[in-house]
Formats: sequence, structure tokens, C-alpha cells
Amino acid sequence: MDELDLLKKDWNKDDKNYPKLTYNEIYKMILKKSSSIVKWIFIISLLEFVFWAFISLLLKDTESIKRFEQLDADSVFIPLAVIGYAILAFFFYLFFRNYRKISTTDNAKVLMENILKTRKTVKQYVAFNLIYLVVATLAALFVELDQDQLIIAQIEQASANGEVFKFYAMFIIVAFLFLALGIGVLLLFYWLVYGILLKHLNRNYKELKRLEI
Amino acid sequence: MNKELEHSFVELLEKHQNIIHKVCRIYTNNYDAHNDLFQEITIQLWKAYPKFRGDAKFSTWMYRVGLNTAITLYRKSKRTINTQDFNGVEYKIKAEHYDDTEEQQLKILYKAVHQLNDIEKALVFLYLEDKDYREISETLGISEVNARVKMNRIKTKLKTILNP
Repeated sequence: MDELDLLKKDWNKDDKNYPKLTYNEIYKMILKKSSSIVKWIFIISLLEFVFWAFISLLLKDTESIKRFEQLDADSVFIPLAVIGYAILAFFFYLFFRNYRKISTTDNAKVLMENILKTRKTVKQYVAFNLIYLVVATLAALFVELDQDQLIIAQIEQASANGEVFKFYAMFIIVAFLFLALGIGVLLLFYWLVYGILLKHLNRNYKELKRLEI
Repeated sequence: MNKELEHSFVELLEKHQNIIHKVCRIYTNNYDAHNDLFQEITIQLWKAYPKFRGDAKFSTWMYRVGLNTAITLYRKSKRTINTQDFNGVEYKIKAEHYDDTEEQQLKILYKAVHQLNDIEKALVFLYLEDKDYREISETLGISEVNARVKMNRIKTKLKTILNP
């Protein structure tokens, strides 16, 4: 007899050794809240959508953007804004569609795949936002350099001093540093969220995938 | 959710609760963790219950949701992470006749099972519950052949753990 059969023999006659919960104890349990990763993924994903909506609202209200709106940049920024909202709606729809597909009665592999798919939607949305942020910043810088009287005056001042190159270099370095810092913080956040939340799932998913090779 | 649904669910669960206890036994190694996982599986079963159709056996359905919760959904609480010691659990292991070697062997076997990874535990669990390879493969989403191959590897792995 091999080891597992010995275990099996013991396993099946062991029934009386388990705790016996009463009707009321079980009833109390179903009233409690779940702490499953799906719930956390849902909350964190929603927070991410809110975060990006909040960021765009916050940016709208700043002094520089208000000053910006006086410039002739509608042809650039109105399409950018429309694309931004359309894509938000699209990703939100995808997220909900994927989220609703998660079912504990699927087999283990499909369940894991659906959870990962839901996360992937949000990840793609964030990647889109990062690219959007970079593009919008570059467009804004371009318009500023081209039209903003304050900056044009500074450029003229700099060129009078023979420091045009230095001025542009500073401008680009500062813009680059701000973007890099923003992206760095977000990536760190992601690395942490993924590390903590999905480590267990990813490990088991890989193990299942490995079985199929 | 209406009262009738609640009542029928709790009643069924009370009757079949051993299945959840067994899942907890394989996946946890102390009393608190056992209760924690039991609680989460119960919640997940309850959430899925409105969609439960009588065409699947309640127990079969429980195996699936129970294992899915243990493998995928459950977030180990902090207090379970630091306790690797299986001795903390007080499951009585009874040999058919009082046989010191057999009891000792079983103890070591349970300990060895706890060292397997989550997927391997799921296979062992279903095997111990006398499920055939078709059901094992359907529960995990792998092919029957692969389930068999994996099971043989687990047997070898257990042998190595037991006879290093």
C-alpha cells in the first residue's frame, strides 16, 4: 500500500473529529463580510479609476491650466479631452464586464484567468493614462513655448544673454524630472499592490500552467 | 436575499460542513487559520448560492467553491503566516488498531502533505475524497492525463519527503 492510500484510509474515518458548527453559528457567518482578493481587486480598481478622474479634475483647476486655456490650444486639447473620456468609458465597461465574469463555480484555472483579465484591464487603463500624461505634457510644453508670452519673454531674455540652449535644456530637464517622478511613484505603488495582492494567485496560476506543458 | 434561501442554505451547509473542514485541514495548520478559511469559504458559498442549480450535487459544488477559495480567493491572515508548525493543530490521528508505527507514519504523512504547494494539495485533497481523475481535472481546469501525471509525481514527492 502506498503512502497516500494509508492516508486515505485514515482521512475517511476521521469525520467525527471535526468541529461541528451549529445552525446559528453558520448563519452568523453568512452575515459577515468577505475579505477575498476579488473584493480587494474591485476596491483598488475603482480607486484607480477615481484617482485618474481626480487627477484630471485637479489639473483643470490649477493656475497654469487656466492661463493655458487663454492660449489658442483648443485644437489640441479638446480632442485630447474627448479621447480621454471616451477611453475612460471604454475601460470602465471592459472592467465591469470582466469583473462580472469572475465566478467561484468555474474551474480553478478559468477563475484565475478571469481575475487576471480584470486586473489587466485596469493595468492597461493605467498604462494608457501614463502615455496620455506624457503626450499631454509634451503638447502643453510645445504650446507654452510657442505661445505663452511669459515664456516667450524669458526666451528672448535668454537669447539676448546667449543662453538659449541652457534655457531649453533646463526646461526639458525639469519637465522630464517631474514626469519621471510621477511615473516612478505610480510604478512603485503598482509593484507593491501586485506584489501583495496577486503573489499567491500568480504563483498558483503558474503552477497550473506548468502542468499543461 | 430572502429568508427561505438563507434557511435552505444554512441547513444544507450544516449537513455538509465536513467538506469545508476538510479543505481547511489541508490548507491551514492552526485553529485560527482554520476558522478564518472556514468563514471565507462559507461566505463565498453563500454568495454563489443563488446561482446554484439543483442539477449539480450540493457537495460537488462545495468542493469547487471551497478549493477555489483556498487556492485563489483567500488572503492568508497575518497570524497564519508565521505558524508553519503542524503540531499546533489538534486533529486526532487514530490508527485502526493502536499501532505506534502507523500513527507515527500518519503524523509524518500529514506533515508532508502540508509541505506541498497549493495545487498539489488540491490534487491530494480530491484524491483523498475519492474523486476520480475526471472530476479532479474538471475542478482544476487541467487535462485528465496531466492530473494523473501530477498525482504520480506527488506520490514520488511524498516518498522522498518521507524517506530522505
